[in-house]
Amino acid sequence: MKVSTMIKTNDLTKIYNRNIRAVDKLNIEIDEGEIYGLLGPNGAGKTTTINMLTTRISPTSGSATVAGLDINKNSLEVRRAIGVVPQDLTADEDLTGRENMVMVAQFYDVPKTVYRERIENLLKLVDMEEAADRLVRTYSGGMRKRLELIVGLVNDPKILFLDEPTLGLDVQTRTQMWNYVREIQKKLDVTIILTSHYLEEIDALANRVSIIDHGKVLVTGTPQELKASLKGDVVTVTFKSQEEVDQMKGIKGVIEVSDSGPNTARIKVENADSALPTIINFISEKKLSTTKLIVQKPSLDEVFLEYTGRDIRTEEAVDSRKMMMNLRKVRK
Amino acid sequence: MSGLGPLTVRELKKWYRNPVFFITGLIQPFFWIALFGSAFDITKFFPGASSLILGGAPNYITYIVGGVLTVTGLFTAMFAGTQIIFDRRLGPMGRFLSSPIRRSSIVFSKIISATIRILPQALILVIAAILIPNGLKFVHGFTILDGLVVFTAIVLVSFIFASIFSAIAIRMTNMNSIFGIVNLVNLPLLFVSYAMFSPSMMATWLSDVAKYNPVSWSAEAIRMVIINGTLTTSQWIQVGQWLGGLAILAVSLLVMTAVLAEKEIRD
Repeated sequence: MKVSTMIKTNDLTKIYNRNIRAVDKLNIEIDEGEIYGLLGPNGAGKTTTINMLTTRISPTSGSATVAGLDINKNSLEVRRAIGVVPQDLTADEDLTGRENMVMVAQFYDVPKTVYRERIENLLKLVDMEEAADRLVRTYSGGMRKRLELIVGLVNDPKILFLDEPTLGLDVQTRTQMWNYVREIQKKLDVTIILTSHYLEEIDALANRVSIIDHGKVLVTGTPQELKASLKGDVVTVTFKSQEEVDQMKGIKGVIEVSDSGPNTARIKVENADSALPTIINFISEKKLSTTKLIVQKPSLDEVFLEYTGRDIRTEEAVDSRKMMMNLRKVRK
Repeated sequence: MSGLGPLTVRELKKWYRNPVFFITGLIQPFFWIALFGSAFDITKFFPGASSLILGGAPNYITYIVGGVLTVTGLFTAMFAGTQIIFDRRLGPMGRFLSSPIRRSSIVFSKIISATIRILPQALILVIAAILIPNGLKFVHGFTILDGLVVFTAIVLVSFIFASIFSAIAIRMTNMNSIFGIVNLVNLPLLFVSYAMFSPSMMATWLSDVAKYNPVSWSAEAIRMVIINGTLTTSQWIQVGQWLGGLAILAVSLLVMTAVLAEKEIRD
């Protein structure tokens, strides 16, 4: 039996200021019941894609159907069928958590008898019953994110959009959020589309992922498929000089040697366990002086580097600045 | 589907739950009527000519109540737009834009809540004006119809200025810009009008400009019913013209704001 398609985009494109291609002929297809990840660095076009699919902005060209509805022609109906958890915090700090939820439920014309019970269940789902009647301004960062998560579900949507759900949270709170997302998917039978630039997050939650950069899909597959597609392990060697990196490129019996940061060579091998002696022999033969040697089995980090040519970790600096901005917003 | 109800309830909750916001708004009319009523009381300088200056009013407070009521509405309504910028900067706008509501409801909820906030202020202002020594006197009585004229004028003034300032805020992200605009126009709107002084007291050019200020229309309409109680037919026609002018302006501005909001409002 073929599961039904929940989201399908057709050359979806958004151009800002006539020349910035935020999203460039993007094509994705998402099936019912999936947790689908969009992975990419900041500025890759993830949020722009989400904003188009949730009809907050309209595409420059191309089209998409969400829950069977055209985003260009039926934007109001699309909005009714979906739940959105935007990247920014959207709850009103001067209202209680419950009041925020009631207000949004009324936006969707959910009858009072229905939303009362639904809100109660959602609060229970993310362990927020006792905080529900406190003003949102008294909430911690993690609680505010949890509230955002369930506010996106008050209309019982078929599809839930999660845009960077754990941006700016500490590791512990993030893991907790993941559990809530899994719980929601299991209990509420909702298709989830998730953007993140945390590889662990996509690895932990998504059953399928598209890596996006410069507004284009670079590759799509399950996290396992993507890791397997690398065909091999990676040995990273850091030397004292760039010259030695170039010498390292003379080694035989490996798949490929490439540059990877200052004085660092990234050596791709079929099997790190058997290739390591060869590499070490080569280093001692040429009398190269190494400062670091790391063996990496395939991870999504490696997949990301393979397809984008960039290390997602270098994005973290930008990310922490953004997080500070978000926090400032919260504090205000 | 429209979202206007829940959004307006939200605005009002934010108002009555914030004690400073709530109480200052209610104290303000006392200050205004007491201070304006005594500071601008021009009859002191022309003891013999007060009936000419005041157009038949028994004292200056009675004369300016219409003006102060209008200006209270004006000043409260001008800040309706700031709430739109707050929503944009603090996040709720993102939620509103991804919900299936009319985008004009976001703006109209500000206009309606500003108007509702003005009504208790207006009531308190009238009570304060009656209570202060040598205050508001209804020499020729005050009918329900007169009350309706006062109410309509205040609501229309509020719609007019809340629309203008919401429309300005629809695409604005910087709070300082709107405060700047408010400060630029609030005193000119007040003084280039018949809110405080009669045309006979003003320089000719000023009086000519003030004729076109909706603040004048509202102040004059309220003044007419407060001073005369029961109006003659020609006085009713005059009041009808002022209120009609306000209504036409209010409706066109509301329509313009709705169209702008549907098309232009964004995060």
